[in-house]
Amino acid sequence: MKKKILALMLLTVMVLVTACGSGASNNGTSTTNGNQTAEGGETASAGKLKVVLIIPGTLGDKSFFDAANNGLQKVKEELGAETKVVEMGADKTKWEPTFNDIAAGDWDVIISGGSEITEMFNATAEANPDKKFINYDTDIDEAPANMYNMSYATNEVSFLAGAVAALATQSGMPNANKDNVIGFVGGMDIPGINAFLVGYIQGAQYVDPSVKVAVSYAGDFVNPAKGKELSLIQYNSGVDVIFNVAGGTGLGIFDAAKEKKKYAIGVDSDQAALIKDTDAEKANLIITSAIKKIDMAILGAVKKLQNGTLEMGKRDVLSFVDDGIGIAENDIYKNVLPADLQAKADEVKQKLINKEIKVDNAMGMETSEVEAIRNAVKP
Amino acid sequence: MNSLLNVILTTDFAFSVLRVTTPILFAALGALISNRAGIINIGMEGIMLVSALAGVIVSSYSGSAWVGLLGAVLAGTLIAGILAFFTLQFKTHIILGGVAINMFASGGTVFLLYLLSGDKGSSTSLPSKVLPSIDIPVLKNIPVLGPILSGHHILTYLSIVAVFVVYYLLNRTPLGLRIRSVGENPHAAQSVGVSVVKIQYMALLLSGFFAGLGGAYMSMGYLSLFTRDMVAGRGWIAIAAESMGRSTTVGTALTSLLFGAADALSNALQVLKIPAELIATLPYVATVIGLVIYAVSETRKKNRKVKSPVVK
Repeated sequence: MKKKILALMLLTVMVLVTACGSGASNNGTSTTNGNQTAEGGETASAGKLKVVLIIPGTLGDKSFFDAANNGLQKVKEELGAETKVVEMGADKTKWEPTFNDIAAGDWDVIISGGSEITEMFNATAEANPDKKFINYDTDIDEAPANMYNMSYATNEVSFLAGAVAALATQSGMPNANKDNVIGFVGGMDIPGINAFLVGYIQGAQYVDPSVKVAVSYAGDFVNPAKGKELSLIQYNSGVDVIFNVAGGTGLGIFDAAKEKKKYAIGVDSDQAALIKDTDAEKANLIITSAIKKIDMAILGAVKKLQNGTLEMGKRDVLSFVDDGIGIAENDIYKNVLPADLQAKADEVKQKLINKEIKVDNAMGMETSEVEAIRNAVKP
Repeated sequence: MNSLLNVILTTDFAFSVLRVTTPILFAALGALISNRAGIINIGMEGIMLVSALAGVIVSSYSGSAWVGLLGAVLAGTLIAGILAFFTLQFKTHIILGGVAINMFASGGTVFLLYLLSGDKGSSTSLPSKVLPSIDIPVLKNIPVLGPILSGHHILTYLSIVAVFVVYYLLNRTPLGLRIRSVGENPHAAQSVGVSVVKIQYMALLLSGFFAGLGGAYMSMGYLSLFTRDMVAGRGWIAIAAESMGRSTTVGTALTSLLFGAADALSNALQVLKIPAELIATLPYVATVIGLVIYAVSETRKKNRKVKSPVVK
């Protein structure tokens, strides 16, 4: 009997360790809340702006959440605000209570992001009309009067990425072949991913209407082996540059690129920069990345809010004009892509800025329309 | 239809089948050994994940891919040892233990990864090593067979060798005999002096060893890095392959190959104009068809047995 109890206890410890591992943040959250209530008792000191960022997940994704955290760092450094980041972990049942706890504290500005939290976040904002809220990435238009929503013109940045891919596949770059085919590996066949796809296809077609686009979906965001398989097949079929829009699955695309000595394009953040230190050979094949500048967007919004110029209760779609999106023009881009092609890419970018090019957005499209666009360019 | 054949009848496709099958095959062989000893190890997924991370960490700190492989296999065996300790020593229910291992692995690997590299998503900041691929001297020059069978990852070859080793182990060695007898009737085995607990310990450790090889393949061959939850269900597919293979070595190897082929096919078919959702169901359709064929043949066998005395 004693042995059984010991076994049970040890198992409990193991499960606990697990829980902490996947959501180390949860502990953080509860302590945060404790501190807050303590702080809430005092009056906010010195008139410093108090900004909190709530992450619906954990930091360390080297992409979406980390970019938001960088934005918060900038807010702290440039605006001298008092900041705090709270990681809620992946367990959605903990999100709503966390939002409520934090809204009950003495924060002036509460920032969070993602379509998944939008509904909860809006409800929290409505319940706390004296606080200001910023949602740094959402597809939903409606917002309470004290909420500011942002989203990014992913279709436009993908258009530019598609243009770069099409330029690269026709170029004399060492790893480019004669076939006029470029590739796309997406996480899932969903509107958020297809927004990238439609922009990418249109950008490639803008450069040359004869360019074909091979499209694969992994059906999974955490399966890099699948990403690698799909990419190997595309590379084998004559594709020489693949656009990765597949989260963790996409890391397998870069492995395939290295194995086949072909090019890839990263997403969300400058993905070559992440790999550069440990695997320069692989990083040098990532010619550019389609970036959402979440950090700059957050800084800009908080700045405006401080000046009182931020228009609450609406959603802005950030584009090249607002410096909300861009492609990574790092050393690899400058060295690997020939100068004349860079000039052509700049030309396309300028036209996008001047609104001379109109890019379709898959977000509002019927599935059949996306299907038609996809099938029209299949190799 | 023509383009379909163009996709399947290529050496690239046949090559990719073996590549995709490897992790499933390793884990399925592990599941086979423990299952034959009458103890179902459902912690394969978790053990593979831990081993995948261990391989990356050990190889990046030691600078040697081989030491990394050793680390991965030891980690797999160790986790299986912990499972065995709880189940056999403390009589914890094996399913509960397996669930705990899987949950522990999913969160624990991320926790460890964060401690060592500061990342929670992937090991891109660790300079880990990969094991080599091997060209087989004479074979590689033979047309068709060469491009399919040569140039694979060393662990892929090891997985094929492992099939024969496991077959020999289970059917031709005293340990194999004991494993099977313990699995079929533990009381009978005990009555003739076989230590049931000891044999089940051995079986679980061996299953961890093979799952460890599968995990090492994921992060040190198939891919060159660890990402969170990267095993992505392959441990579970392996358990399914083992039971669909009716707990025989040959059956398990063949069903693993079937699952691998279905998965490879679902990847290859994406270049055709077939909806991606439909293609993604292929591995599962293959499972259902396999089970139906199995059930039908079993029922027929039974019917024949029932009928035969009447005929006489």
